[in-house]
Amino acid sequence: MIVCQNLYVTYKRRQEPVLKGVNGTFKGKSLILGPNGSGKTTLFRAVCGLTNITSGKILIDGKPVEEIYATKGVVSANFQEIYSLIDVKAFDLIRLYTDLAEGDPQLTLKIIEDFGITADFLKKRKLSELSSGQAKIFCTALALAMKARHVLLDEPFEELDPARKGRMVNYLNEYDGVVLINTHETWLLKNLQDWEAFLMFEGTLHGPLMVKDLLNARISMVEEPDALLRLRLSGRDINLVKGKGRGKLLTSLENLDKIYEIAEGPKA
Amino acid sequence: MTKYLWMNAKHLLTNSYLIFWSILFIEFWVFMWAYVFGAYLPQMEEAVRLYMASAYGNLLMLSLSGAAITIASTLLYGSKSIRYVTKYTRLSPARFLIENFVSALIVLLTISAVMFLSVVGVFHAKFGFTILPVNPVGLLFSILLGAVFIYALAFFLNAVVVVLRSPKSSSFIFFLPLIFAFTAYAALWVDFGNLAYVSPFNCIVSTCYYYFSGKAPPTGNLTSMVQNNRPLVDVNMALASLIVWSIILMALNIILLRKMRGISIEEIRTA
Repeated sequence: MIVCQNLYVTYKRRQEPVLKGVNGTFKGKSLILGPNGSGKTTLFRAVCGLTNITSGKILIDGKPVEEIYATKGVVSANFQEIYSLIDVKAFDLIRLYTDLAEGDPQLTLKIIEDFGITADFLKKRKLSELSSGQAKIFCTALALAMKARHVLLDEPFEELDPARKGRMVNYLNEYDGVVLINTHETWLLKNLQDWEAFLMFEGTLHGPLMVKDLLNARISMVEEPDALLRLRLSGRDINLVKGKGRGKLLTSLENLDKIYEIAEGPKA
Repeated sequence: MTKYLWMNAKHLLTNSYLIFWSILFIEFWVFMWAYVFGAYLPQMEEAVRLYMASAYGNLLMLSLSGAAITIASTLLYGSKSIRYVTKYTRLSPARFLIENFVSALIVLLTISAVMFLSVVGVFHAKFGFTILPVNPVGLLFSILLGAVFIYALAFFLNAVVVVLRSPKSSSFIFFLPLIFAFTAYAALWVDFGNLAYVSPFNCIVSTCYYYFSGKAPPTGNLTSMVQNNRPLVDVNMALASLIVWSIILMALNIILLRKMRGISIEEIRTA
């Protein structure tokens, strides 16, 4: 279980915090939805210990993240930068990281090959020489094969075609452990209906809600007493309302970046 | 031990920058020392031995300093990964430091061996006789100490860049070993006096010279024609200096390793 308590992260002194008092408990399979620049990746980086926490706490299975050292099987992630320990061929990186984390090299290769990338290809290329889509698949496969209790996947569907997106969804649904995905795409919702969802805007985390409740949620600019969630974006209040009524369906937005067009548009 | 140790050693040994700056570039200077600077050296074994000891000590110091740049750079590029693997894999910060240290040591000792063989070989070709070190075990010990110091310095410089989050300054900071090494190289013409003990680079040269030739070197001005009454290096002091420098830097490295959050490759490239 990952618990965030009043978490603030600032990259540079005197700059506005990227995370502004994030509170949340992630204990199953969770989706963090938010537009680009909302702080989703920073939250994952903080959990991985890759960025300084300005204030607040992150607890992983009850232990503060700052106190965790040399503990395999706790957290894995699909950030390319954590798989750059040595600039060797991608195939050797699989051998190295599965050795360090006591993960499963065969599973890594199986997942990667399932996405059309062969072992022979990985023996000839370094991670930095893969296309961004191939690198994303490679890092996600390694993260899933590390046998960690918590897997953090940053935009794992980016640059995948629909068939591959479906395959990735299957791997995530089958994973035995806490899975956190962050994305700004809404098409996922119908495939991950049993997951919890959090919404992240401007450094603040909202939720949890059930994904199935978000499926028919509408975005309303007028105050709704039975709103699932009330957000403040670009200085205006936005209500997320379940069921039929006024407002645009959340799932009709291709991605969450478009919510700003609604927030900045006329009241509806 | 994990796979990291051998993979890192292999990666460093096949690094083209390291091969060029620490081996090929210094090989050029081996030939220069033998055939150009040593052109008028008398064909006397003792004279050639002292000259060779000076050549090996100085060129080894430059070669190892060049390798320090590559070691520091690879650590910087892997800094985010280092943070992650020391937290969430079985490689603890101390274990990482040990494995990184051992792999770098393998590389530095390999470079030292290549330099040794080439100095002996090229000088044999020039002077027609083979000169081997008077105290090979002592020479190996001094090379080992030099390599430990160079590694500790390379890691420290990388840690400073990462902790200060200043990738822009890395191109200057990482070249400090080579800058210091060339400063120490000036001892061929300048007498540093007691400063020879403060500079670990001078200590590397002095200890190699001593174990290679069996004689303590002067504190500087090695090329001077006047050979008498020059103060000589106390080799025990030079060894102690190298050991103290290495211990201080390694202790700082352990402290800084826990403070390192890493710098992303994009940040390094755009700095």
